Amino acid sequence: MNFDALTIVYILEIVVGGLLVGVGVHFVPVGGAPAAMAQATGIGTGTVQLAAGSGLTGLLAAGLMMSVTDNIWPILASGAVGAMIMIDATMMTGGWIYAYAVGAPFASAKVNYDPITGYSQPPYVAPGTVGQGIPTVCYVSGTIGAFMGGLGGAMIYYPLMMTNHNPSLSALFAIGIFLVNAVLASWNIQGTIEGFHDPKFKRWPKAFRSCLVATLILALVAVTITGGA
Amino acid sequence: MTVGGGAGGAPSAIDAKKLRIYGIGGALVGIYLAAILNSVLGTDIFSILAAAGAVAAAVMGANAVRRVCGYGIGTGVPSIGMLALGMGIVGASFGLSTAEQLGVSMAGVIIALVYAMVFGYIVGAIANKVMGFNIPIMEEGLTDLSGAGAMAIIGWSYAISGSLAYADMVSKVFNTGYLAIVFICGGLAILHPFNANLGPDEKQDRTLVNGLMVGSLAVVAVGLCSLATLSTTAAIITIVIGAAAWYYFYVWYYRLVKRDAAAVVGTGLLPPSAL
Repeated sequence: MNFDALTIVYILEIVVGGLLVGVGVHFVPVGGAPAAMAQATGIGTGTVQLAAGSGLTGLLAAGLMMSVTDNIWPILASGAVGAMIMIDATMMTGGWIYAYAVGAPFASAKVNYDPITGYSQPPYVAPGTVGQGIPTVCYVSGTIGAFMGGLGGAMIYYPLMMTNHNPSLSALFAIGIFLVNAVLASWNIQGTIEGFHDPKFKRWPKAFRSCLVATLILALVAVTITGGA
Repeated sequence: MTVGGGAGGAPSAIDAKKLRIYGIGGALVGIYLAAILNSVLGTDIFSILAAAGAVAAAVMGANAVRRVCGYGIGTGVPSIGMLALGMGIVGASFGLSTAEQLGVSMAGVIIALVYAMVFGYIVGAIANKVMGFNIPIMEEGLTDLSGAGAMAIIGWSYAISGSLAYADMVSKVFNTGYLAIVFICGGLAILHPFNANLGPDEKQDRTLVNGLMVGSLAVVAVGLCSLATLSTTAAIITIVIGAAAWYYFYVWYYRLVKRDAAAVVGTGLLPPSAL
């Protein structure tokens, strides 16, 4: 393994990808168990499940694109779009369940007016809960988060593929890096967040610094791995 | 066999240091014994020993999850299990690949363990210093978890590949996609015990026996995978021993649940009016 200029570019790409994942998690409306009971705003599962789901879809999309071309831009774009489709489909079907099965009005408890639609929120927040469903601002925020996550996942996958030329090894290694960054970010938001309008969003620089150190250590070894055989 | 080394069965708490020695020692002994016996005798039926070593490592990981999550980390317990396996998979592939490049494939396990534990310590330090968790055992807990994740991945992967050579690992475990099964079953063995038993009446022995139980199920799973990669005899041995261990620990776990429950009441079937 020789450390030439290209290797440094690969390391930087992995680090930027890890940072995109870490910051992207802050955009996704993660509601956790309370949201599953329609007692909090967001998607009713944990950060890691959402990050893994969108990340894997992004990786699959990026991998599929990588099987036809080596150009980095369509690969990054398909990774980002794949993750966005996954998160948007989850939020949309989740929204149908909240609206038509649970019967809860979509309301955010963190802001008085939805920053995008301008609709008033507090009258619709049921007493004893911190909002329900996925309001417009959370949906938009989640889409941005998925874009960053998918872009980050593809950005980790691409340099791995270029160094070891083994799709399954690169994918699983990328999932490893992805999970480390997603978990660090989810610890930073203490499990739940509504999106970029949530006061917790201001904590992102902490996740940025943490993911920078963690991904750098992973990236340095990632480029030394060979494809075997 | 090293499966029993994870928990002594004593009702009193087992020290984390002791469990760490059992876990890492059990994993290293299991994997190396399997590798040496298999290569010396020219067979692959000893692969079960590596799987058993991985169970010991998973129990150590389950204990680390229990200690760290006992402080409350704000997110669900599964996140820390996925983190352990995420760190483990990077450590495992780095260790095995580096050892192959250096020409000593037997050293891969040690390199993976050392890298994973150092990385775990750094992530723990980040969580405490940058994110302000202030959990006193965070560094220690994540060091254990990361090491346990790497050992679990290598041990169970060995039970599928039957060889420590990186090329064999890649062609039989990575390229076939069986690593995903190792990943999720190993993750369950580490995160599920505390996730299922947490609460004010959580007892260490009950949690760890649950870990042994889920770990044995993972042995059955890798045994099924090895049907496609190893000799049928080796795969059957792994499946049968895994299933027997699962039954043994399931009965043990059920006994502990009954011991700790306030009451075990049979509710019967639904009343006729509800049908």
